[in-house]
Amino acid sequence: MRNALVRVVSVLGLGCIAPGTAIAADNDGLALPPGFSAVVVHEGQGTARHLDVAANGDIYVAGRNGLSAMRDTNRDGKADIVATFGDVKGTELRLFRNWLYVSDDVGVYRYALAKAQLAPAGSRETVVSEFPKERQHSDKTFALDAKGTLYINVGAPSNSCQEKDRQEGSLGLNPCPILEKYGGVWVFDGTKLNQTPANGRRFATGMRNAVAIEWNATQNSLFAVIHGRDSLDTLFPTLYTAEDNATRQAEEFHQIVDGGDYGWPYTFFDTRLARRVLAPEYGGDKTKEPEAGKYPEPLVAFPAHWAPNDLLFYSGKSFPAKYREGAFIAFHGSWNRAPEPQAGYKVVFQPMKDGKANGPYEVFADGFAGDMKDNSPRNAQYRPVGLAVGPDGSLFIADSQKGRVWRISYRGK
Amino acid sequence: MSARSLRLAAVFAGLWLAAASSVANEPAPGQLLYNKHCLACHQADGGGVPNMQPAIAGGTWVKGDARALALFVMSGGFDSASRKDSDVGNVMPPFHQLPDADLAAILTFIRQKFGDGGSPVSAADVADARTSLPASPK
Repeated sequence: MRNALVRVVSVLGLGCIAPGTAIAADNDGLALPPGFSAVVVHEGQGTARHLDVAANGDIYVAGRNGLSAMRDTNRDGKADIVATFGDVKGTELRLFRNWLYVSDDVGVYRYALAKAQLAPAGSRETVVSEFPKERQHSDKTFALDAKGTLYINVGAPSNSCQEKDRQEGSLGLNPCPILEKYGGVWVFDGTKLNQTPANGRRFATGMRNAVAIEWNATQNSLFAVIHGRDSLDTLFPTLYTAEDNATRQAEEFHQIVDGGDYGWPYTFFDTRLARRVLAPEYGGDKTKEPEAGKYPEPLVAFPAHWAPNDLLFYSGKSFPAKYREGAFIAFHGSWNRAPEPQAGYKVVFQPMKDGKANGPYEVFADGFAGDMKDNSPRNAQYRPVGLAVGPDGSLFIADSQKGRVWRISYRGK
Repeated sequence: MSARSLRLAAVFAGLWLAAASSVANEPAPGQLLYNKHCLACHQADGGGVPNMQPAIAGGTWVKGDARALALFVMSGGFDSASRKDSDVGNVMPPFHQLPDADLAAILTFIRQKFGDGGSPVSAADVADARTSLPASPK
């Protein structure tokens, strides 16, 4: 649950965890800050992506196998009723007014929610459809503001807009034609039906794939954490080593403003130099800078390849005060750091104040990946993707490996 | 043979032995080349990354005809017929720019490690396959 609904519930005084709530032994293997505990809500609906929690506590999860709704009837934290519904095999999922908005690779849809009914009974309505079917970066994650404005991440079907994608030495197309239809955020009226991409307007550009996208009601602004580029070393081996590729290019956290340009594919933010550099496809020599002031600096430059897949500004009341309005970010974990050790696979907390980073990020939940045999993402035990806040202020996390859903609550020190 | 020559011969023999034993402890050239060109996508265990890059371990390509494998790796996955039904997101770039000997070493390594100990591939095999590439694959 996001923003407004959480506030309504906390006014009603439901800000503390229900008595009798189960705690997973050893927090299910997750490392959490002192005072926090984890419950396994459910596992078994297949690969989960994003999720949301209604004011009554019902949990809705989007997954590659379809949509599911979960209810905890005895308030022990675990789902007792699980219903599958709909025909969307997808990614993003958000509750908005009395609707459940979901997406797949080519569209955003919604289901009407009836009071006290767990799974929607009716068929879906199409909000926007007919995005081109692409293979890379095709998940249409989205955010909604309080008025129902719909911000859709349209990822670029490319690594770095090379003339030949992911081919050694191939230079970048300039201007990058992909940016006409991809690589940014497109805005729609989320209350209107049967729209196509032609009904949208490009809101922001230069974003390779902003999977983690969120409306911040307090700041009245959009924010996103963007997946940075891959393969510096294999594409430009005379400039970059495997270690460079594993560590330099940031996953950039930005406030996304109307008309903003965040620098892809022409640049990337180099975490080692702590500044933006020209991409090697566009004349970059490892140090050359783009025109001063052309692209904004990130609010936070997260480590390379961590794969930020969800962003959530904490609007609950049950976590300690420092978490209020700060950002939780779910990092799905790397594949393109190999042969270096993979990294990410955790949920971090970024303290925020007035829409800016307020101190260094902290690892909030870790231990998802397990031993990860052979350094392979395939062997990760869990990979966090989706985040949501429940009516009691608990943080819910969804996993893409087994579809496990956790509820993280604060019990005090 | 003079004493000096004998000493020199002993030194060279020692160097050769040292070099041979150090080679024995190092990964095969094909593995080093796999690590450089292939591992980031297909991973150390050849298992790929779900939804991103396919597994090659145990697959039909590494177990099958060496010439077809050489052609596939040199051409890349862009126009592969099997790709149409694939659920992986990323495309495989062509590797025709690598020398025959490097490609042969890589193909030998992946056939042995991921293809149930398949037969080695020689540079001549790769050169022969290269003649079947389109005239200008670049």
